[in-house]
This record gives sequence, C-alpha cells and structure tokens, in this order.
Amino acid sequence: MAAIEMRNIVKEYGDGFKAVNDISLSIADGEFMILVGPSGCGKSTLLRMIVGLEDITSGDMVIGDDRVNEKAPRDRNLSMVFQNYALYPHLTVFENIAFPLRLNKKIGEDEIKRRVNEAADMLELHEHLERKPANLSGGQRQRVAMGRAIVRQVNAFLFDEPLSNLDAKLRGQMRTEISRMQRRLGTTTVYVTHDQTEAMTLGDRVAVLRRGFLQQVASPRELYEQPVNMFVAGFIGSPPMNFLPAVVSGQRLKLPFLETDLPAIASGKVTDGQLLIAGIRPEHFEDARLLDPSKRDRGVTFRAKVDVTEWLGDSQYAYIPFEANEEVTKQLADLAAELDSEALRTQLIISIDAMSRLRENHEGEFWADTSRMHLFDPRTGENLTRDEAAAADLASYEEEELRERTAQ
Amino acid sequence: MKVSRRTQAFWIAGAILIIAYAIIPVLWIISLSFKEGDDITNKSFLPSTWSWENYKTVFASDLFTTALRNSVGMSLIATTISVILATLAAYAISRLDFPGKRLVLGVALAITVFPVIAIATPLFDLWRNIGLYDTWLGLIIPYLSYSLPLSVYVLAAFFREIPWEMEQAAQVDGATAWQAFRRVIVPLATPGVFTAAILTFFAVWNDFVFGITLTSSEAARPVPAALAFFQGASQFSQPTAPIAAAAVVVTIPVVILVLLFQRKIVAGLTNGAVKG
Repeated sequence: MAAIEMRNIVKEYGDGFKAVNDISLSIADGEFMILVGPSGCGKSTLLRMIVGLEDITSGDMVIGDDRVNEKAPRDRNLSMVFQNYALYPHLTVFENIAFPLRLNKKIGEDEIKRRVNEAADMLELHEHLERKPANLSGGQRQRVAMGRAIVRQVNAFLFDEPLSNLDAKLRGQMRTEISRMQRRLGTTTVYVTHDQTEAMTLGDRVAVLRRGFLQQVASPRELYEQPVNMFVAGFIGSPPMNFLPAVVSGQRLKLPFLETDLPAIASGKVTDGQLLIAGIRPEHFEDARLLDPSKRDRGVTFRAKVDVTEWLGDSQYAYIPFEANEEVTKQLADLAAELDSEALRTQLIISIDAMSRLRENHEGEFWADTSRMHLFDPRTGENLTRDEAAAADLASYEEEELRERTAQ
Repeated sequence: MKVSRRTQAFWIAGAILIIAYAIIPVLWIISLSFKEGDDITNKSFLPSTWSWENYKTVFASDLFTTALRNSVGMSLIATTISVILATLAAYAISRLDFPGKRLVLGVALAITVFPVIAIATPLFDLWRNIGLYDTWLGLIIPYLSYSLPLSVYVLAAFFREIPWEMEQAAQVDGATAWQAFRRVIVPLATPGVFTAAILTFFAVWNDFVFGITLTSSEAARPVPAALAFFQGASQFSQPTAPIAAAAVVVTIPVVILVLLFQRKIVAGLTNGAVKG
C-alpha cells in the first residue's frame, strides 16, 4: 500500500492536444479516490498514466516514495480492472486469477492455490473456478477481473469504469461489493467513472475533471454543498442543479418567479444591476402546501405554472419552463453540451413531495430554499457564495474519518 | 429466414456439381493406382481387378522413399521456421508503430505475386556457385521467402483481432513484453498460427518448380519432382499407374494433417475476453 502523488502532470499528444493539463493531486495511503468528469475530460488518460500504459509528457508521478515516470507497468506494482475486464479467454477462472502470481517465480504452487482461493472466497467465485470466461455472466466476469486485481499485494488498485458494462441492478450490487472490498483490504484505490452515483457513494474524495483541467478535489458532500464553480455544481447531482438568471438590484436579487435578499457572502463581490446565475438544487424546492411550516422562513414562496410532472412513487418532479435572456440561455446550453447533455429549453426541475397532487398545466404555489442557493459569475463560472469555512469543516471531518479507518 | 424449396434445390445442385468437379479427378487417380499392369487401358473407371502392385513398386524404389523423406523433412523444417518468423513479424506489424510498416507489408505481398519460375533460373546459378545446389537448405530458403509473406498476412489479421487490453492487462499483472506475447497473445492467436502452418505446409509440400530446378540427385529431391523421374515396370511402358499410387501416398499425410489441424482452428476463441 502506498500514497500516490501527482505533481503538475501533463499529457500532450503529438498534435499538441493536451488531454491532461497540469494536474496535481495527492492520494493518501488507503484512500478511495474517484476521478470523474464527462467523456473526454482526461480521467481515463490520467489513470493510465498512473499505471504506466500512457507516457507522461511532463510532471512527476510518485507512488510511495518512488518517482515512477519511467518505470514499466510491471515495475509499479499496481493492479487494474479494465472497463471491458480484459480476462484471458484461454485460461480458466482459477488461472486468470493466478496469472499475476505465476509470473512471479518465487511464489510456490501451494501459496498460489491459497491466495487464489482466498480471493475466490471474497468474491464468491468458488463454483466457477474451473470455468472459462466465455461461460460466465457479465457480473461474474467482472468479479474475476477484480479477483485478478486483489490476488497480489499491490500498492494501489486502479479501476477504469469497471461497472459501465453491467445492467443497472447488478451495478448497484457490485458498487457495494467494491466498496466493501476496499474497506476490508484498505488498499489505496483510484476509480474512474462518469457515473456520479458511483462517484458520490464510493469515494472518500472525488476529483472532478473538465477538459484536462482539475476543477475541484473534495469529499462528495463538499462537492455537493460547496462547489467551486458552475461546472462542478452542474455535474454533481441528479437531476442537475437548476440555473436561473438573477439580476442584482440593490440588496435584492431578482430571479424569474421570485425575489430574495442578496446573500451576505456575495454582497461585496457584485455590483448593482449585474447579471448573475443562481443555482438551486431541485430538492431545495417544495410544494408550498405540503411544506413543513418551520422551514418556510428559510426561503421564499412563488407561484408558477407546471408544465409536466413525473411521479416516481418515492419522489415527484415538476417541470416549470421559464424565459431567460439570450446570454444566459447560451451560457446554459454551453454548459449542458459540456456535461454530455442537451438543454432543450430553459426550465426549472423541482423535486416536490410525492404526496403532492399538483396537476400538469395548472398553476401551483412553490417554496424555494434560498438560503442554500449559490450564485455564479456568468463569465467565469466561479461560485460567489462558496463558504470556505464550511468547506474546510467538511474536509476536516472527512480526513478524520479516513484516518480512523486506516488506523484500524 | 425461411429458404424456399427452390433455392434449397438450387444450392444442393450447385454443391453437388462443385464437389463432383473436385473429387472425380481424385477418385480417378485412386482408381488408377489400383490398376494392374496394362489394366490402365481397360477403358473403364474402375480397375478390372484391384491390386496393390503399384504401391509395392513405389515403395520398393529408392527414388520414391528418399524423396518422401526429403519432402517430409523439408516441409516440416520450412513450416516451423516460417511460422515462428511470421508470428514475430506479424506481431510487430500489428502492434508496433514503426516507419516503413506499409512498405514492409507491400514488399511482402509483391514477393508472393512474383512468378516462381522467374526466380528459379537465377537461383540455380547462384546456388551452384555458393554450394547450396542440391541441398535441403537450398530448397528451404526459397520456400521460406515464398511462404513467409502469406503467413505474415494471415497472422497479422489474427493479431489485430486480439484486444489491446489483453496485453495491457498482462503488463499490469507484471508480465514482460515477451511473457505477455508468449502467455497471452500466442495462445489467443493459435487458430491463426495453425492456419498459417497449414497453408505453408501445403505450399512447400506441393512445390514442383524449385524441386526440379534446384536439385540433381536424391540428396534433396522432393516427391513432386521425383515423380517426374519415375520409371515403369519396363523401360517401354509409361509409369502412369505407379505415379498415381505415389500421388495417393503423398496425399495421405496432407489429408491427415488437415483433419488434425481443423480441430485447432476453432473460431471465436477470444469469446469472453471482453464484455459481450
């Protein structure tokens, strides 16, 4: 086990395109680090640079105490689970898992048998040990790939979107399985995904990447509550955060449908009449009729016409279209394109109580928790309302938890 | 998809026609080889009496048995060397990026379209000068240069089918480039290796032009060339029937070889390697 330290890592391709741009990231010993971002953000390239399958253009990659830039993959003592598993089809499950051990001449046959069985126990692969990968289901193949990764004592595990080929139900199961395994073995883990559920649930910390640049490295909670910019705010959360145009007017802020006080934290950073983008998460809205009275004072109520509702049993979403000026619309469309989605129309997506009997195409009264609203500079995307103190608090809490876990 | 009765009948008729076209000459040769003495003029497809006489003649003659030994020996050596070299070369072509890669492939292909007879005469002169004339090596070298390009092509196609990740996984698991090649890539390319081996073996086994031009004695003369020197029971009778018997004998190993290797050429060996 070892810590991984990246200093100013750059990956430049022959045509001058920089897939990874000046990334510095330190991953503590035993930490579960997630690399997340939309496709083409450089997350897989970064992972492949850690393992040594991709050359590093400049910067330092340090694993444990060694700079490994020039080392071949086999000398880095890492193990990796590939997106398509990359099992050896001519070998049985047992031999697949034993493969890394067989390459080491010093390990005896008894030791190999013991270790493979141990890995098979952990992954419940015992009855499949003599089968070939072709006869296994997707989930079983995935477990074999994991078995091959954990059978050695390695410095770190690397996962490259390991669950993206599984169906939704199996993905959920395997996610918990991976989490349990990592907690049990306590091995440093780097996990690449574009699925934010995986990012939020698995990681001690999450690194959000965009076009080769590191945006924010923080605990899932901090990413969610104190994003540094509009990109991170829009990427984390499902359904995504709502972005609304907001105009500063004295100490007040005018949004479509509603008006509220300018948050104190942003007051020094904006000028009168400035156009901002306000971000409010869907779950910070509620049907005013079903609202807990104690909450009412934290936000404001407004009336709006609901376009479509989606009832999911445990929750309910309502869509409220709104008009925005051209500049904001364009900004939001750009952001949506970057997040691999498409902004067809400017609309609010709000999460309301499943009990709400709100009807489509009818006006309703809603409540928005403006105390949890974020304000972004439309030009830079920077978050003007990020609370550094709260963020630091969340970070220290997370660190403590990790320390406690690795100490065991 | 439902195939109509008419189309089915059409396909069956076509298949029978093609099979007949291919197999009748073979059956004829077999029938000839069992005809005794002057029976070859009996104007019927089957021999009047079945006899092993021709086979006895064939195996009794030194000409044939030494030629058979030469053929088997040279074919096996040429095939082995060719397949090993082709595997390495094809791997380099499919996996490595080096300048002149296309040129190498192009030249390799150009060699195969070169008419064999055009190179036979210069080789005859050259081999005589440097002492390779009428030796095994003198035949194995041209065999290699003609069979290698085809093997490289076949194998390069197979290597390209193997997912890159297989090798990368092996590297991460701690394998050297050579270990990854030997323990992962080669086993996966087995069908390709066997295909290349069969093709090479056929080409070498059936060679006549090099065999007749580059040899002068029994030291290296292969079977196809030796058949041309065959003599009948008497000086005045054509040795048609013994030649037919010899032809049958040399066909047998090839048939056995195909049946053996066919099992190895299992399509879809890479099933289950990656998601699917």
